[in-house]
Amino acid sequence: MRLQIRHWGITLTIGLILSIALSGMAYAALGDRLLGRGSNGPEVRQLQSKLAQLGYSVGTIDGKFRSKTEAAIRKFQQDHGLRVDGLAGTHTINELKRLTSQSTNASGKAVGYKNIDTRLLARCVNAEARGEPFRGQVAVAAVIMNRITDPAFPKTVADIIYQPEAFSSVDDGQINLPPSASSLRAVQEALSGSDPTGGALFYFNPAKTRNRYIWSRPEIKRIGNHIFTK
Amino acid sequence: MHRKFWIGTLVAALLISLGWGVNEYRLEGKYHLVAENNSHRALTDFASYLDQMESDMAKGNVASSPNQKILYLSQVSSKSEAALKDFAQIPADQVGLSYVSEFLTQSGDFTRTLTQKLAGGGKISTEEEKTLNDMHERLMPVNQKVQDIMMRMDTENLVWTDPTPSLGQRLGFGRTKIAEAAADGTEVPFKSVRSGLDQLDASLQKLPPFSYTGEYATRVVPKPLGLPSGDVTRDQAQGVAREFLSKVGYPSITPEFTGESQGALGGYMWKYKEADIEVSHQGGVVTFYRDQRSIEPQALSKEEAASKAQAILQALGWHLVLTSSEDYGSYIQFDAVVEKDGVRIYPDKVRLMIALDNGQLVGLDAAPYYSFHHSRTFPAKLTMTQVVKNLRPNFKILESRLAVIAKSGNQEVYCYEFRGQYQGEEYLLYLNASTGAEEKIQRIIKTPRGEFLQ
Repeated sequence: MRLQIRHWGITLTIGLILSIALSGMAYAALGDRLLGRGSNGPEVRQLQSKLAQLGYSVGTIDGKFRSKTEAAIRKFQQDHGLRVDGLAGTHTINELKRLTSQSTNASGKAVGYKNIDTRLLARCVNAEARGEPFRGQVAVAAVIMNRITDPAFPKTVADIIYQPEAFSSVDDGQINLPPSASSLRAVQEALSGSDPTGGALFYFNPAKTRNRYIWSRPEIKRIGNHIFTK
Repeated sequence: MHRKFWIGTLVAALLISLGWGVNEYRLEGKYHLVAENNSHRALTDFASYLDQMESDMAKGNVASSPNQKILYLSQVSSKSEAALKDFAQIPADQVGLSYVSEFLTQSGDFTRTLTQKLAGGGKISTEEEKTLNDMHERLMPVNQKVQDIMMRMDTENLVWTDPTPSLGQRLGFGRTKIAEAAADGTEVPFKSVRSGLDQLDASLQKLPPFSYTGEYATRVVPKPLGLPSGDVTRDQAQGVAREFLSKVGYPSITPEFTGESQGALGGYMWKYKEADIEVSHQGGVVTFYRDQRSIEPQALSKEEAASKAQAILQALGWHLVLTSSEDYGSYIQFDAVVEKDGVRIYPDKVRLMIALDNGQLVGLDAAPYYSFHHSRTFPAKLTMTQVVKNLRPNFKILESRLAVIAKSGNQEVYCYEFRGQYQGEEYLLYLNASTGAEEKIQRIIKTPRGEFLQ
């Protein structure tokens, strides 16, 4: 008899633990509830990693909605035509999910993110043109794309970026900083064919460059602090 | 007691720093070795691919059956790609236009066009035979020179790049040997791998370019075909910018001059608040516009944005059809092209961006349109039913039309465009309108922003 009571007790405890855990898991799906300052848990972690994927810095991805996450949400909302309130509600989360989802083929099968080079390109743009106007960031990405179509350069994004002495940000390690949201968007525009430089193959900051070769190239135009040349 | 303590501390500190120094030194040596090994691998692979490419080109030259020719020529193009990849990793002091790269790219490009021609049942012309032969003639000394560099690297311990000039040289006492050689045009023995490659580059630069039609055949951007004739003055250009700005939502303002751009589509650049606008010297048309204002919360749907795009195109005097869109969240980017007598002319493209807060135009790029637009005459075409027979069985056509598409090397082809499905995938197929031959295949991928052609 005593044994049976204990048996019941164990079953009850397990049931209780299970139901708590399951209800926690049910909460964990991103988009089920409004997330804001002070929210914690796995769905906040998902939110943070999606923000980071799009270049909105949240610091460490720790599942805690604090000031950095809120700032990232505000910036994301501002950039994407959403009401800026610092809260992750349905609209904000849906837009985040849309922009971070994989590409699909016609029958809906996921086929990966496509444009594999986007992130490396964005890191290069971020390191080379962080302080430049957005147009100047698209321009730096466009120069790399122009090199691909020019016979005198290597034919892949990585080969161009990692060509010795091609980009100062590769030599000083700034290329390894996480790409910003604006550099990612600039790269997307350049990859879809925008070229504000008019076919430039080089660019330099006249205040910082004494390299004679690059000064000798015919100038096309100046965007921000960079001179773009043929 | 005190003294002993201090000596002991100092000795311990010395030992710790010594240990740290040795460790750092070892680490540095290790990293240096990794870099050195990688450079050696790149140079050796480069030389080896070049050598294989040279012999495959010789075989491709002599082969007489199309199958053998396709085999060797396609090997030339893949070896040239591999050689180019490794060439780009050899240490250098700076990056410039490389004639070695250009030669490798064009050899691969030319042999690839020949392969495609042969695979499509075509024949190589005498002229192409000659170009192939000339390329081989040029490749042989390149190959020799690279092997010479390799040999000297082994026997004379060549460094990768020239040492930076000494203080004396920098102050003007004595010049480097390479600089002297460059000045009087003679070749001196090079001191580093890079200066050897630079000599090779200089010798290739002097040779005439190859003439063939292909993707990388030329570097020069052709003269813009679509700009109206006659140059405009700065004042006239300002007038054009003002009129444009008033049509896109900034009436009666005076844009500020920010500079001029050069090149094929060069012009006067203007600024108003956060908007930049460029008006071409030739013809005085707006080639570029971008407004960086902050965009308020979204108020328009995608469909409303598309009709706004149509309206603004009309207002600016364009008669174009929207072909694709990309959703960036706060604005949508549309591509619009010319459609003439039912033929879509894809090269004549204008890109525009519509803000989703109030439907204003926030971006316009008309550079492709002005570069390629011209009046075209279309050759005699096959009928749609004749061409459809060339499609593979089970390809389900969803849309079809006539189109002009751009092909490599700034060529255009008059085609039938078929959008359709095959085994769960969607494609755009382009079949030559006069011959029915397959010209281009594009796979349609749905990305989070819109359709993407791969």
